[in-house]
Amino acid sequence: MTTTLDTMPVSRMRSRALHPYWLAAPGIVFLAIFFVYPVLKLMGLSVVGADNSFSLAAFSRIGHTDVYLRVLAVTFRISLDTAIYSLLLGYPLAYWLAGRPDRQRGKLLIFVTVPFWTSYLVKTFAWMIILGHTGVINTVGTQLGLFGQPLEILHNRTGVMIGMVHAMVPLAVMTMLPVMTSIDRRLVSAAQTLGATPVRAFWLVYFKLSLPGVTAAGLLIFISSLGFFIVPAFLGGRQDTMLAQLIITQVQEMLNWSFAGALSVLMVGTALVACLVYDKFFGLSTISGGTVRENKSWLRQVGLAILGGVAAAVDMIAKPFGRLLGGRHILSIVSWTIIAFLVLPTLLVIPLGFTSSSFLEFPPPGYSWQWFSTYFNSPVWISATVRSFGVAAATAVLATCVGGLAALALAYGRGRWSGPIFAFFLAPMIVPRIVIAVGMFYLFANLGLVASNIGLVIGHTVLAIPFTMVTVAATLKTYDTRLDQAAATLGANRLRTLFGVTMPLIKGGLVAALLIAFITSFDELTIAIFVSGGITTTLPKQMWDDMILQLNPTLAAVSVTVFVVVTSLLIIAERFRRSSSQNL
Amino acid sequence: MLDKKISRRRLLQSSSIVAASTLVAPSLIGRAAAAGVQLTVADPGGPFGPAFRAAFYDPFEKATGNKIVNVAREAEPTAQFKAMVDTKSYTWDVCTLTLSARDILAKQGLLEPIGFSHADAPQLMPQAINEFFMGTDVYSTVFAYRTDKVKKAPASWKDFFDVENFPGRRALRKNPIDTVEQALLADGVPLDKLYPLDVARAFKVLDKIKPHIAVWWTGGAQSTQLLQSGEVDLIPGWNARFQAAIDGGTPAKIVWNQGLYSIEGWSIPKGCPKADAARAFIKFCSQAQQQAIYTEKLAYGPTNLDAYKSIPADRAAHLPTSPQNLKQMAIANEDWWSANRSAVTEKFNSWLLA
Repeated sequence: MTTTLDTMPVSRMRSRALHPYWLAAPGIVFLAIFFVYPVLKLMGLSVVGADNSFSLAAFSRIGHTDVYLRVLAVTFRISLDTAIYSLLLGYPLAYWLAGRPDRQRGKLLIFVTVPFWTSYLVKTFAWMIILGHTGVINTVGTQLGLFGQPLEILHNRTGVMIGMVHAMVPLAVMTMLPVMTSIDRRLVSAAQTLGATPVRAFWLVYFKLSLPGVTAAGLLIFISSLGFFIVPAFLGGRQDTMLAQLIITQVQEMLNWSFAGALSVLMVGTALVACLVYDKFFGLSTISGGTVRENKSWLRQVGLAILGGVAAAVDMIAKPFGRLLGGRHILSIVSWTIIAFLVLPTLLVIPLGFTSSSFLEFPPPGYSWQWFSTYFNSPVWISATVRSFGVAAATAVLATCVGGLAALALAYGRGRWSGPIFAFFLAPMIVPRIVIAVGMFYLFANLGLVASNIGLVIGHTVLAIPFTMVTVAATLKTYDTRLDQAAATLGANRLRTLFGVTMPLIKGGLVAALLIAFITSFDELTIAIFVSGGITTTLPKQMWDDMILQLNPTLAAVSVTVFVVVTSLLIIAERFRRSSSQNL
Repeated sequence: MLDKKISRRRLLQSSSIVAASTLVAPSLIGRAAAAGVQLTVADPGGPFGPAFRAAFYDPFEKATGNKIVNVAREAEPTAQFKAMVDTKSYTWDVCTLTLSARDILAKQGLLEPIGFSHADAPQLMPQAINEFFMGTDVYSTVFAYRTDKVKKAPASWKDFFDVENFPGRRALRKNPIDTVEQALLADGVPLDKLYPLDVARAFKVLDKIKPHIAVWWTGGAQSTQLLQSGEVDLIPGWNARFQAAIDGGTPAKIVWNQGLYSIEGWSIPKGCPKADAARAFIKFCSQAQQQAIYTEKLAYGPTNLDAYKSIPADRAAHLPTSPQNLKQMAIANEDWWSANRSAVTEKFNSWLLA
């Protein structure tokens, strides 16, 4: 990657004619080889019949019953609700964080990322323990007499929403925060000086300026929610089946790849339509379209009109409340409540790691170190841990470079190809992971990359690129490209501008991209199951193997260890950052 | 390092015939020196790892000088299996399969013959062996109930489906397999006349219990957790998953009556270069004294019934193939399911959503 970074802009300098879109070239080539080719090969099976001839039987099977369309509807509904609720919780939190002084924000952000570092397998089981009929909330609630009957908050849609929103709020905050911190809050004061009420000033100035972050976060959450399968399986009820679950069943249990391909085509197709509609309403591709391109389409006007309406409505509702309670305090209280919701499952996992029981039961009947000693004395667990950290670090760097360059290409490019390029880089999120994983296995087998660390890094980078691209693009959206022109006027070449001006100014976005890519890899299971092959196992795969038959508290001990290691690293990094910024 | 080696190999492979001979050499050596082979064996993971190590892997290493590396496989590893054979990248040499996975893979020609038959191991249960497969353990789909919550002891599927006389929170598996059978058994269909399944009749029975099901479980670990935490009071599932909870102190009981059992066992991916050593390993695992060892740690039933000669009676009571349990149960019919699974699953999913 360093070669691309070095040579690209230099060659650009030599021939000024090269279009900025060339910055997206490394990513396009990378995705074409490691994503498009294997996935198309597998999805192509959807039109292959039993006798290897062309056949649309798999698609007509989808059509002859309504079950698949209904599952698709459930999938969309859950994903949409997840996106809405995650934004509703994530926005005030991000807003509050953006308003904190720099050093405080760094510390607080560690709280927000806490759920990120607990494997979603463990988190899901923690929610089962918290929300269950005999779970923590119901036990405490009935004993305190808060409610007579245990609440039905697990094994239904409520359970699914809690699990999914919890998993997605950190992503919402991390995508919106870099955009919000780059907004000049004095603009809000200016609006108030000019006579706007505080609420109106917020909605029409601050909120509007933060919209790129909101739309980016909403899209990322919606699309990644489409592929969830563990949360609905464990926290959901009778009707909470998502399409990814059916696709996995077809791939893994039925070995009917033709039908799995057809279901994937259905999912990808509808997700693309959803993206297009989203684009029409919220100007999605303008996330990447630089600063000041006004979209005049009527649908977008509708979007803005809705926003104006919301501002007016909230203004009416908020006025009496604002007088009753001090506004600032409400925001702090709300934010801390959301943080409490985010850290709750992790707090529960900590005592479970020290349990003397051989089950994940709460409260633990006694305490012991046995699960930590199982973990630390197992070479398999330790090597899986080390491999996961290494692969995730490599993935973070690679995906941020490739995705970041693509974001730059879109920010500078601003042509009619921006939309398609943007959609292309999002595609790895939309295609079900199991389809990518199986397709990749065939490709990697030909390249000799099966069961190799390089294979894992490539696979995880494919998955992480959409996140890094969108995160950097959202930051660039509020970035004033005239600063680059200013630098160029002063004699800096493209490379110098990139490293001296652009990168320092979008640092927040780059750090967020690195973190999100890291965790995408660190928590990834499906690719690991196929590509890692067995002996080269990663942490989530090792956890999954261990919990197929029986959940044992080693998982909690591992989670606690990872949590401690990562938190210490983040705190050290935070210290380092602060001392280096003091030196400047 | 490994990647470098492989890519260099591939380079050589495409460049010259001389290179081809160096490629063949390792596999020739492997075959000649049957003693130094390292087999990668995919077992179900979790508690199976240590139990199979004691029963099969270590004794086999000692007896033959070969080495066994065990890894955990997915619950249904058919996709990995197919990918492995198609691309000839054999990350596993031997793998545990369920009967349904075995039939799916055998139908697609992805399995290697195991090289011996029932005549060579007459003490094995006849259903536990065929051309491509040797069963190592029998698991049974039964139901368990919490003895602290369900006062009147249920004794059959009829009782399980009787929500009035046997009150309690219930779970069912979110899968038509076993669930359809359970509904028919509850409706009075005799165990030996279950197949072919009367699906329409089963759904009528399921309609009645649908509003009373608090949890639809999807994974084995989840079923243990549901029973252990008291989330539900009655739950159908696999015997060993419930036994793990009971062994851990959960006040619960397993009802063996009208249970449906099935078999897990070893198969070899088609074209595996270490197939000879793999066959020797599988043959080794058919022995009664080896199978008896894993029952100390795992509540699964040996397929070699001679194993019960050395298993203590109190342990045998918890195993599916002990004479007293086996006689209350029948084997699940894989042929019927492999022909009807797709359609019935679709119907079941549709029914769940309604």
